[in-house]
Amino acid sequence: MARMEQMLKLVARYALLIVTILWTLGPVIWMISLSFKPPTEWYSPNIIPQRPILDNYVSLFISTVPIGGTYFMTSIAEAITRPFINSLIIASLSTIFAVLIGFLAAYGVSRYRAGGTFTIFFTLLTRMIPGATFVAPLMVYYATLRLLDTYQALILLYTAVTLTYSIWILKGFIDEVPAEWEEAALLEGAHPWRVVTQVTIPLIKGGIAASALFIFILNWTEFLFALVISVTQIVTLPVQISMYASAVGRMYGPQAALGLIATIPMVIIGYAIQKHLITGFTFGRVR
Amino acid sequence: MAKLVVRNLRKLFGDFEAVKDVSFEVSERETLCLLGPSGCGKTTTLRMIAGLETPTSGYIYIDEVLVNDVPPQKRGIGLVFQDYAIFPHMSVFDNLAFGLKVRRTPKHELTARVDETARLLGLSDVLHKSAKGLGLSEIQRVAIGRSIILDPKILLLDEPLSNVAAKVRERMRGELKRIQKEIGIATVFVTHDQLEAMVLGDRIAVMKDGLIEQIAKPDEIYAHPHTLFVADFIGSPSMNLIECELLEKEERVFLDAKDFAIDVIKFAETIKKKATGPELIMGIRPEDLSMSKKKIDPKAIRGEVQFIESLGSSSIYHLRVGQRPLLVKGLLEVETGDKVWVMFDLKKLHLFDKKTEVAIW
Amino acid sequence: MSTALRKIAEWSRRPKKFGRLLMLPLTIVQNFVLIIPFGIMIFLSFTTWHPLAGVEWWQAPIAGLPNFVKAFADARFQWALIRTVIFVATVVPIEFLLGLGITLLFLGEFRGKKIFTSIVLYPMMVPLIVVGLSFFLMFQDFGPVNLIILKALFGGETMISWFLDPTLAFLTIMLADIWQWTPLMFLIVYSGLVSVPQRLIEAAKVLGASSMQILRRIQLPLIKPLIIVALIIRGLEAFKVFDTVFIMTGAGGPGTATETISAYIYKLAILYNNLSYAAAVSLILLVALALVTRLAIKPLAVKPE
Repeated sequence: MARMEQMLKLVARYALLIVTILWTLGPVIWMISLSFKPPTEWYSPNIIPQRPILDNYVSLFISTVPIGGTYFMTSIAEAITRPFINSLIIASLSTIFAVLIGFLAAYGVSRYRAGGTFTIFFTLLTRMIPGATFVAPLMVYYATLRLLDTYQALILLYTAVTLTYSIWILKGFIDEVPAEWEEAALLEGAHPWRVVTQVTIPLIKGGIAASALFIFILNWTEFLFALVISVTQIVTLPVQISMYASAVGRMYGPQAALGLIATIPMVIIGYAIQKHLITGFTFGRVR
Repeated sequence: MAKLVVRNLRKLFGDFEAVKDVSFEVSERETLCLLGPSGCGKTTTLRMIAGLETPTSGYIYIDEVLVNDVPPQKRGIGLVFQDYAIFPHMSVFDNLAFGLKVRRTPKHELTARVDETARLLGLSDVLHKSAKGLGLSEIQRVAIGRSIILDPKILLLDEPLSNVAAKVRERMRGELKRIQKEIGIATVFVTHDQLEAMVLGDRIAVMKDGLIEQIAKPDEIYAHPHTLFVADFIGSPSMNLIECELLEKEERVFLDAKDFAIDVIKFAETIKKKATGPELIMGIRPEDLSMSKKKIDPKAIRGEVQFIESLGSSSIYHLRVGQRPLLVKGLLEVETGDKVWVMFDLKKLHLFDKKTEVAIW
Repeated sequence: MSTALRKIAEWSRRPKKFGRLLMLPLTIVQNFVLIIPFGIMIFLSFTTWHPLAGVEWWQAPIAGLPNFVKAFADARFQWALIRTVIFVATVVPIEFLLGLGITLLFLGEFRGKKIFTSIVLYPMMVPLIVVGLSFFLMFQDFGPVNLIILKALFGGETMISWFLDPTLAFLTIMLADIWQWTPLMFLIVYSGLVSVPQRLIEAAKVLGASSMQILRRIQLPLIKPLIIVALIIRGLEAFKVFDTVFIMTGAGGPGTATETISAYIYKLAILYNNLSYAAAVSLILLVALALVTRLAIKPLAVKPE
């Protein structure tokens, strides 16, 4: 009798799990399906393409290629290469700056109690503020500085915004390193810079890597400010996706392909730092 | 039949035999202590009685009912964990009432029983305090109260005082003893502290490597240990254990310990009958040895004081007899380096067969 | 160069000075990128400047409060706010409940748990825009939602134009958010639940509690503070929703049915180029947010720690 109950429970559990998986992967599966479908199948409900093609992907790199035999008038050339590179440059540089400056600040807060309560409060504040509220002033600001549509604009902006996360996460890691170890090294006559680079940093290498990757993801996927500040020169990948979606009408195939390509690096990184994400998001840090 | 009957319990964890063959009974109003070093199987035995582990073989009867296949909550047991595990987010009242609430006991009955249990344990004043801010002794009482409010048939305690600092331990030990007497449920508790066992247990089962070496009242265990292990384990400071050989030379029968000898001609026959060979281990507790500065007794043995541990009302004297260390507990005005004469009380002498480690005297 | 380093080494012996030195880059960046624009925002909101007004913005005359007066009477602004609040108030509890449900599903051990967990966490890693794109594609007239799901449920040729109906469009936006962030709630609740000491659960079990009772009386109460924090953080993030709105409904369609507050301000600034008014609205929003969080934090700040 108890065994019957157990069997039923097991079946129910796996059934619900499958439902959850379907819900979770549904959108992905459809995207993958679309990305391999020829235009004739874009409006059909079948999941597996009857005549799978790679043209959708190719067209992203070379825009005047026929897709499934049909020529499309696309107004966006080389839909992916430039934006991809732009995103890479901007995201990488912003991340590096955010981690560098953030480390310094986190170190200052952790070891020297610099900044006091105001800095912490302020950094928390930057998370709360809706980005849209800064659109108007930033437009004006950057226009005046002639920084509109430039790399510098976005890099500076992203650095400033992600500094909050950077400091918060890095401070946590620095706190974990006992100050006594640094003091011991100092007492042995080591230069303070050496102490930090040879003692502290190696100990939190993993944490720095994880936060860098996390911030990289944030920068790569940022949309609102990229949309506002870029005009033609520095279109980032997310902006490109949105432009492609609206400007090109119902070209589902290439749109899906673009979306997937944009997603893959993020998913890879995401899974790589999965463990660290978990410890970061559970705010109940029992120390 | 007794309240708790345990018969031939055996527990395997993979290849490791944690409990080999354990049997005992506990009557109502009686407290049995499972005493032994870590890894001897006492906690595993307790958990099997509780139902948190299934025995590989053997039987457990609670109140004459075979409970091997009965889940813990239906066995009628009360269990107090080593770290008490009371619910920190609830008040004392809610902690005590938990078991009743879970059984949907009507409110007025619930309140009455909680009040009664609180009174019994001296918790009436803190009934509405949060469990977070309680002192250790109060926490222990809440843990006990939480279990006994369900009128269990037997009470199980896992190392009740292990987590407690030494000074507080004495006081809590006394309280625990008082509570035990008042409640009067058949109790089994587990500990590695022999002092705790002696104070709190009506009977003690000394365990080693999954087996019970001896089960008896504290006095009996102290005075007549059955095996070398029990003799060594019980008593603070430990019993002096000296290897010796039963020799017969020139009409003298004595135990030769190389540094000294003891004549045993009166008991030689008994010894010879029970021993498997002439090699024995002699045991005498430090408190059963006496010392004097001058040789009063012709049989006394000479020793030199190595150092003295002063305990206040008495001291432990670390002596050296020949090459051998000997501990004596008592009180004598001597200093390190002095020579003293030690006398053995033959009535308190224990003899163990070297091979079997079983007591033969 | 070495003299500079030596100076820095000297400074490092004096904590206060060195600390401030360390914070310097941070302060520079923040001031430059955030504080100054904030000042601009305040300034602008008191003018009626327009990019086509013929003067540079810093020369615009201070006009006082007309922007603010306009904002308080602005029905569109109010509706945007209300919509956003409705969005948050609907989406966050649903995400929490679903997350809790999934947690219950994942309690205990079972075959393939690690793989299932990895899969369930997937939506969190998809860039927001792509989530928007995915749902945009799925809810198209000839997309799978119409063609597969509705066909299975209602048979025949039901075709709903999701993005043309105000309520349905709003629904799709919410669904996208739920899809993406439920895994986060799951993660938080699960981690919290698992961190409840095993001892307490054992003790409760011995006292006769069923799994449901243990969950309700022991585990959930113990992780309450964690959950509250998670809900607040998620709520604040949900309030900012923009990306999905932009790509799925063109920042607010049909009409203004899905125009969240972020979308409204964006349109003001970029589409209508009414920068001073946008600044004013932004300022009001910020002040309101600050007040609300202040009020909400006070009773909660007493509870934890």
